[in-house]
Amino acid sequence: MDPEIRIQAEPIDAERCRFVLSEPLLEGGARRFASAEEAKGSPLAVALFGIPGISEVVVTGGTVTVTKTSPSPWQATGKQVGAAIRAVLAAGQPPFAPAAAVSTEEDERLYGRVADLFEAEINPAVARHGGAVELIDVQDAMVLLRMAGGCQGCGMADVTLRQGIEVLLKKKVPEIRGLIDVTDHSAGANPYVTASKK
Amino acid sequence: MADTASRPRLLLLLPSTTYRATAFVEAAHRLDLELTVATDHASVFAGQEPLVTFDFAHPERAAEQARAFAAEHPVRAVVGVDDDTAVVAAVIAAALGLPHNPVEAALAARDKHRQRVLHERHGVPVPEFRLHALEEDPAAVARAAPWPCILKPTCLSASRGVIRADSPREFVAAHAVLARILAEPEVAALGAPARHYLVESFVPGPEVALEGVLAGGALRVLALFDKPDPLDGPYFEETIYVTPSRLAEAAQRAIADCAERAAQALGLVTGPIHAELRFTDRPWLIELAARPIGGRCSRVLRFGPDAMSLEELLLRQAAGLSVPSCEREAQPVGVMMIPTPRAGVLRSVRGVEEARAVPGIDGIELTAHPGQRLVPLPRGSQYPGFIFARADSAAAVEAALRRAHSCLSFDIEPE
Repeated sequence: MDPEIRIQAEPIDAERCRFVLSEPLLEGGARRFASAEEAKGSPLAVALFGIPGISEVVVTGGTVTVTKTSPSPWQATGKQVGAAIRAVLAAGQPPFAPAAAVSTEEDERLYGRVADLFEAEINPAVARHGGAVELIDVQDAMVLLRMAGGCQGCGMADVTLRQGIEVLLKKKVPEIRGLIDVTDHSAGANPYVTASKK
Repeated sequence: MADTASRPRLLLLLPSTTYRATAFVEAAHRLDLELTVATDHASVFAGQEPLVTFDFAHPERAAEQARAFAAEHPVRAVVGVDDDTAVVAAVIAAALGLPHNPVEAALAARDKHRQRVLHERHGVPVPEFRLHALEEDPAAVARAAPWPCILKPTCLSASRGVIRADSPREFVAAHAVLARILAEPEVAALGAPARHYLVESFVPGPEVALEGVLAGGALRVLALFDKPDPLDGPYFEETIYVTPSRLAEAAQRAIADCAERAAQALGLVTGPIHAELRFTDRPWLIELAARPIGGRCSRVLRFGPDAMSLEELLLRQAAGLSVPSCEREAQPVGVMMIPTPRAGVLRSVRGVEEARAVPGIDGIELTAHPGQRLVPLPRGSQYPGFIFARADSAAAVEAALRRAHSCLSFDIEPE
């Protein structure tokens, strides 16, 4: 790993911040850690949960999305996150425990049901607005997804996500606890709706 | 998660082009409210219960739709997020018997002429103004205009169509530009409001924006923003907002008092207000809207020890939940609505990484996408993006915003 790795912090809101690295941490899939307990064995996640107030870490490719509960601004917490990522990568050890150690049979079963729902209902619906939604994984009954096409960067993406997809999922697959959107909406090149007024 | 039956249902009116969908939806999610989103254009999931489509262009029709919905799904509160949906929310709330601003008050806040009349009647200092029909001869109107003057549509937002003229020749030219804007199909569809405009005296001096919330007609100031870029025209592009204000305490108190009297003059009693005022030796009310701050600007506002968002504060008030604090954090913060550099098709934005690295910068959101057509003022109403900053002083916030903005370079292809 390049010790001069660049990390760009992109706060999403007061709770969530996306850290985009110049090199990927994962070649495929996603990893989610919802507690310090879950982070055990994964040095990067352990280091991030060592920062006060961190409540969730999601990693996809070269992006680390961190959620915090503390009221401190991302200006301060972001520097700690960046330093923690650099320290772990500089140590040269694998940042995560093998993925097999965290997947469960229940998540595998849920993944199949959610994938069916994506294919049968969700993607045909969003396709009407030129959108697409990729199911990345199901971990601990949380669905990780990425939006594309007309959904990526759309002004109403969160409405589609929370009021459409999440409600449908919880109705059809009640065991699902929630959704995590790992989309880089700032990179959306063809959003269905562009915000335009006060 | 609480039982659905016991959770208050909030009806949130979101125009499909709003900048604020995510902030409001995420706030409702955090509060565990039973949220139903009403939009003006059908979502791909429309018809699935928490998503409905209402006719925002016809508030009475929207109220009928809301009544039918509420018959099966009782609603605790209805919330609009912008100028138009503030009116629709008031009409729906009246139809459902829910607490809200009176419809007349919401309509007055939406109509820049009506609010001028009410403010003048109630002694709120406003610029000298007169309403004119678009078809009146502009040269004749100019002969009676105060100089310098402002031509202002009665029905548009975001300074769209607002133009300063310093001479009869400039007035006639500004009138031609305004006429073209008011003839654009989505504006012309508004009917009579799109066929009239205000001619006002120009009030010089620094401008501020007051963000507040009304409860029982009393104003609680949430933030007072300085606008350090001079707004002298010919167009009035909003750029930098910094709070706390650097105006003297007495001036700030006078501004808050003026905004409260202005809200009361319109009959507003509850919910958010966003007021723009100038300050010379006293405050002048330039505009007051019954909505929260526009764009993505609310991101810089946090309240109480838990850093509650503005949207959460407003949803708590609307749903009748406790509001733990209306006290903004002590740290100076600011936002820049990135000006549209020129008309054309956006190809790329360079320098974002450098801008993010400027000390004090807390985030940059580019809301325009490659391939998007950019239209500057006075015709446009979009921002390419927003820069957010926080620092130890208001001056440092402003400096950080300017420095970050100077790092950005927009590749725009002429059409």
